[in-house]
Amino acid sequence: MSQPAALPILKARQVGKVFGTQVAIKDLSLEIYPGECFGLLGPNGAGKSTMIKMIYGVVSRSSGDLTVLGFDPQKDSRALRRYLGVVMQEDALDEAMTVRENMLMFSRFHGIARKEAAPHVDQLLAELSLTAKSQAPIFALSGGMKRRLAFVRALICRPKILILDEPTTGLDPAVRHVLWEKIRQLKSQGTTIILTTHYMDEAELLCDRLVIMDQGALKGEGSPRQLIATHCPGYIVIYQEDFQTKRHQFTSLKALTDHLETVQKHESQGGVPTMMRPSNLEDVFLKLTGRELDEHA
Amino acid sequence: MSMHSQVESGHQSLRLSALVAHRHWTIYRRNFWANISPTLVDPTLYVIVFGSWLGSQVQTQGDRSYLAFMAPGISAMTAFFTSFFEGSYGFYVRLTYENIYKALMTTPVGPREILLGEMLWLGLKSAIMATAVSLVLVVLGISKPHYLYLIPLMGFLIGTSCGSIGLLSCTFVQNINQFQSVYAWIISPMFFVSGMFVPTSVMPDIIKKLIWMSPFYHGVQLAQGILWAENVGEVLLVHGGLLLVMSVALTFWMWRRIYPKLYF
Repeated sequence: MSQPAALPILKARQVGKVFGTQVAIKDLSLEIYPGECFGLLGPNGAGKSTMIKMIYGVVSRSSGDLTVLGFDPQKDSRALRRYLGVVMQEDALDEAMTVRENMLMFSRFHGIARKEAAPHVDQLLAELSLTAKSQAPIFALSGGMKRRLAFVRALICRPKILILDEPTTGLDPAVRHVLWEKIRQLKSQGTTIILTTHYMDEAELLCDRLVIMDQGALKGEGSPRQLIATHCPGYIVIYQEDFQTKRHQFTSLKALTDHLETVQKHESQGGVPTMMRPSNLEDVFLKLTGRELDEHA
Repeated sequence: MSMHSQVESGHQSLRLSALVAHRHWTIYRRNFWANISPTLVDPTLYVIVFGSWLGSQVQTQGDRSYLAFMAPGISAMTAFFTSFFEGSYGFYVRLTYENIYKALMTTPVGPREILLGEMLWLGLKSAIMATAVSLVLVVLGISKPHYLYLIPLMGFLIGTSCGSIGLLSCTFVQNINQFQSVYAWIISPMFFVSGMFVPTSVMPDIIKKLIWMSPFYHGVQLAQGILWAENVGEVLLVHGGLLLVMSVALTFWMWRRIYPKLYF
């Protein structure tokens, strides 16, 4: 796999995290390069959020080495977080303050003077279509607006790395597209993005490279195309059988046509339409996280 | 780390802690009348119902009226309840429901700044509330003004010690309803058996010994010395000193237990 020429902006070597007797992260090693969008994918409990929190220094690691922008998040988290923007899973906005006040308050925690912060906050609010709500209290915002505001908050410090922990979960498609557009714009401006998501289309669309994790361990790494080509090449046929969804992978068009009769039989018997499509990241995800496909060479 | 960068780091940490306290003040004043109401109404009712009405039926020893006897306790009580409720319910809501600390910890603020900021807020809020109540008591001629300037210190020490009890309780409860047990079994007994309503001399010997473990008891003794303008030096040395020791010990214990809730 070819890597960008630059030095990594984040380096994890054999990182582990144990909560009591429960292993959350197991010997995870990865490198993230400047300007790329890097995805952490995995089912619930895979350790994605724990890893993310270790990166910005709110969870300690039990073993291994981790450097982010040259800082050890465990020792230099205060210095490191000056360069990080984080969109957490929770919006966690101050309900008693207005939109603009919330953002100005957070600017102060980043050590940005009000004079400098105010025009930048206004600009960010405009970019995320929140200007009309700048004097509104938080409780007057919809879920999508709160999420966009969480983005604004993360961008206040002009981050070198933007960390997005399931940023579009529960949002309608229109808001997701607005946020995707903003992420792509930031990436084009050189911001490094670290993203966790449950949406495979989001990961496929945004990530240059990604890892798939399960039970704290790394199961696969590469670009979406590489992962598909390596783990799940070809075509997927999905049909219903005995009230269960069956997924069959065909590694080539020839393999698919060879089995076409069987597939057609299922459709005629069940009356449920069969779906055929090229394999995608979701198939890789399901395969690597233990939901095996029936493979046909 | 060099000496200079250590000083710089300490300075930044203090600045961020002060900002955390300032954030709480900003939120507090948004609902100022709702927030200040218990501090206005409760002491007023204590003065009228207990001090004045009940006091008129109570025969006291010496020249001091029952109202004058009880008044310093009202000042200490204000600091006590202000800090306990802010440290318990206030902190718990910010920690679990509002996720404010999670959001703060995406900025250069860390657990140390959050806890220092909390202690600063608890101490200052209690000091201001106790001073405001004491001022009213002095203006009404119920208490003596001579050592009023010591009241903020008393309020701050009650705030940090009793606020730490509130914060500590956050590490023992499993949900918000369980604070009622803390209130019923710890806070209420501390409040009623404190020397605020009756002199400790009428209490059984075992109680007289046990209440020395209560920071609120020392707070009431300190308030009485200050607002009666009696034995101030001795009271400050003994009860002020013990309150300071308790405040440091409780803060240390609280810090050890609550830090892992913020950074694990």
